[in-house]
Amino acid sequence: MQKERDPLNLGSLPMVEPPSDGWPLIRAELEKGRQQRRLLRYAGSMMAIAATVVLAVGVFIRQPAPVTEPAAVPAPAQAQQTLDSLISLSQQLEVQVRSIREDVGGMPTDSLVYQVELEDLIAQVDEELSVNPDSLELWSHRVNLLLDLSRIYENQLRRDYHRMASL
Amino acid sequence: MAMTPFEIEMDDITLARARRGDLDACEQIFRLFQKPAFSVAYRVCQCPDTAQEITQEAFITVFRKLGQFRGDAPFWGWLRRVVVNHAISSIRKSPKIDPVEFQDHHGSSESASERVDMAMDLESALATLGAEDRAIVWLHDVEGYNHGEIAELFGKTQSFSKTRLSRARARLKGLLEGGGLAGLQEAAARG
Repeated sequence: MQKERDPLNLGSLPMVEPPSDGWPLIRAELEKGRQQRRLLRYAGSMMAIAATVVLAVGVFIRQPAPVTEPAAVPAPAQAQQTLDSLISLSQQLEVQVRSIREDVGGMPTDSLVYQVELEDLIAQVDEELSVNPDSLELWSHRVNLLLDLSRIYENQLRRDYHRMASL
Repeated sequence: MAMTPFEIEMDDITLARARRGDLDACEQIFRLFQKPAFSVAYRVCQCPDTAQEITQEAFITVFRKLGQFRGDAPFWGWLRRVVVNHAISSIRKSPKIDPVEFQDHHGSSESASERVDMAMDLESALATLGAEDRAIVWLHDVEGYNHGEIAELFGKTQSFSKTRLSRARARLKGLLEGGGLAGLQEAAARG
């Protein structure tokens, strides 16, 4: 059976020693990520407080807005409009994905593998967008990847819900 | 079927500690799997520095996502999949990485000189393959991937995997039967 699987006996080759210890870099990256998450959480709570303050002040000092004619602005080109909508959609999806992710518990390995692949692809697109920020093709690709990612989380939430409901 | 070098049992306690972000537990897992992970990355890309980068990136990804790993499949299978995905992605990005010279990076613990010679022949022959062929033959013959899984990894059909495997094996067999390292050098001298 094994002979059939590996007729040249490649499996007999010894494992390869890494040229150096890879752990210090991994540890540094993990620590960096942890600090960033802490900062994000802090920034998130600050923004929530700021939003509450703005809302409260707005309620008290709201005045009827004067009716004015809309300023005559030149109609933006079709491409620019599409680009703006894609960027805005991408931002909305980003927020949506972040919010669902917090609700999802453990994921099956297959979904997790797929999720990691999608996130890698999004990172690749982001890298390309840093060079070519107005590419319609790249933004559209990013939106599609985010849609796939949010679908994975939604399916997982649905599965979690059914599991809880059947208990 | 023989086990892949990745097939290492992980105890649940270490895994649970790592899931909570305990870096000592993460290091324990890294030490356990570093060699098989590096080996598979090296077999695919044939470049020690790239293999090291692939291994590090894969471990960082796995540790960051560990909180979401439910454990419905063995941990080693997931880790291997992430390493292999990173490796395939690296050969897609730089398809030109294809050194043919022999590099002996492994610790030589073999005692029988004949076995070492044979291993050197296999190493050298393997290094002459194109990156995709090498990855396919290694994933299929050593790591036990089936054609469906290989096809999915490369985004191609199963016939692609079958054809490339058969071509890679035929080339390796030819090189090994044609005198191994000496045969390769003669073939290179003949141009």
